[in-house]
Amino acid sequence: MTSYPTSQVVLRAAVLLGPVVAVLTTGPAGAWPPWWIVAGVGALAAAAAAAPDSQMATGASLAALVWWTITLGDDLTGWVVVAAVALVVGHVAGLLASYGPGTMPVDPDLARLWARRGSLLLLVVPTAWAVTRLLRGDPEQPGIWVLGVATVLAATVLATAALTIHERDGRTS
Amino acid sequence: MTAWRPTAALGRAMALGAVGLVLALVTGSPGLVVIAAPFAVLSAITLVHRPTLRPRVDSRVDHASLPEGQGTTSRLTVADGDDVEAVTRVAGRPPYVAFHPPGGQVSGLLADGVPDVEISPRRWGRPTLGEESVAAYSRWAGFRFGPLRVGGRQVRVLPATAPYDSRAEAPQPLGLVGANRSRRPGSGTELAGIRPFQAGDRLRRINWRVSLRTGDLHVVTARAEEDTGVLLVVDALADDGASGGVDGAASSLDLTVRAASAIAEHHVRRGDRVALRVVGRGHEQVGYGAGARHLRRIRDELAGVQVGTGDDRGSGALQLGVTGGAVVVVLSPMLAEQVATVAATLTRRGVAVLVVDTLPPDAEPDAGEGTDPELLALAWRMRRIDRSVLLDRLAALGCPVVAWRGPGTLDDVLRRLARRAELPRVVTR
Repeated sequence: MTSYPTSQVVLRAAVLLGPVVAVLTTGPAGAWPPWWIVAGVGALAAAAAAAPDSQMATGASLAALVWWTITLGDDLTGWVVVAAVALVVGHVAGLLASYGPGTMPVDPDLARLWARRGSLLLLVVPTAWAVTRLLRGDPEQPGIWVLGVATVLAATVLATAALTIHERDGRTS
Repeated sequence: MTAWRPTAALGRAMALGAVGLVLALVTGSPGLVVIAAPFAVLSAITLVHRPTLRPRVDSRVDHASLPEGQGTTSRLTVADGDDVEAVTRVAGRPPYVAFHPPGGQVSGLLADGVPDVEISPRRWGRPTLGEESVAAYSRWAGFRFGPLRVGGRQVRVLPATAPYDSRAEAPQPLGLVGANRSRRPGSGTELAGIRPFQAGDRLRRINWRVSLRTGDLHVVTARAEEDTGVLLVVDALADDGASGGVDGAASSLDLTVRAASAIAEHHVRRGDRVALRVVGRGHEQVGYGAGARHLRRIRDELAGVQVGTGDDRGSGALQLGVTGGAVVVVLSPMLAEQVATVAATLTRRGVAVLVVDTLPPDAEPDAGEGTDPELLALAWRMRRIDRSVLLDRLAALGCPVVAWRGPGTLDDVLRRLARRAELPRVVTR
């Protein structure tokens, strides 16, 4: 029987729990998810925990995001911060777990590096929450949403261009 | 051709960031921006650090030859690795090979140096070591290069020398200069007798005490000391019993090969000429020779022993090419009639032959799926009875059979063979 090192077990548990916690946090915010939503997200998250290098985790996280879209409306509850943190932790854990096969222990230096990076990413969450809360009371500017959609589309095009890698040959010595 | 490819993590971050922001804009939910923001930031950082330089990776194993149980290191080199942040190595899993870190799987930051993999073959043979899959990751793990297969080198894993020592002399040495007491008189140190002085005798051989007592000059005579030829016959027709590597249980072939290595080393150090003949698929053969280089050659050949009968050459009568005065040591589990026949034939010809029984006491036959275990046990019991009858008949012919037990295994039988060699006998030719 394949035995997984402790580091991999911890990371995969985080991959499993991240989307599930993100879905469940809509409950304290006022809309408890039905059991089949939790079960579906849990199944996707379990598949992601088993194969962190697959796109199963994307499905689980997107399902949590869609559930938040359905239940949140224009409300800005503090529980959304918890949901975002859970998703980020699950994402970083899955990324770290996918550096190698499940039987490979995670390199401590690599784990420390990603702990630092994850902490920096988590700083974005309360910052974004505070900014949106500050801007929430402002009167809506005409065309702000159209500009936003245009910005997202432009970012998508730029990202697509960036993903096309033009590799350089190695230097000759 | 291998190239940098986006990882699943990058795809996940981009999907969550983009979908979250789009949904926030479409539905007017500012809370979704909070969820999407860290993923959008992560995607942006990762894309900024997208790699463009193709790395070149290669790995090599430090040693081409090493004794079983000892270790070597597989080292990975990464050239043009400016865009590489981390490397993951997953070694292939040949049988009887131990790794450190366990499983041969290791990852690490390139800035800390490429992680090495220590490899230790646990059984003699010629395994391919150092074959592995390597993946390189860019900064922020957005892109992965590989995995690609690199390395792989056939290494000669020499059999560990079993503890062995012998103080017995060869039965009938017939050589030039060595450490075995010959039947011929010569200038050795072993006392042969005292006789009256003859013209040509060396003055330093005069025994003054006897000369004074008898009134005539007497000299001490000694026996010559010669080397001998030792032919090691290794039975590789089958491998009975389970092998657990150098630290575990030994199969019949493990015992055979390690014992052959030990006996060869012992005799080469004594200055004897040693030859090797493998009865098996590879038909490995090494002629008579002495010295460290010759011993190394014998151990190299032993490392390459392959189990099986191979072609039809294995089914006929064996021609061992035994020279006069040689001692033939047959290392075999004695389950093949062919080997027993050749031992009996040589014994009848007056050659000093001794059989080292290398069948482990707890050996079990290796049967395929679907074999009735009771039938198998019965067949194995009958085979062992046949074998014991065969060994008794060999012993009755004058061919001693001893079980391998390390130091002193051959002492008693070699002494008996030496005493018997001094007696007159009739041999068949």
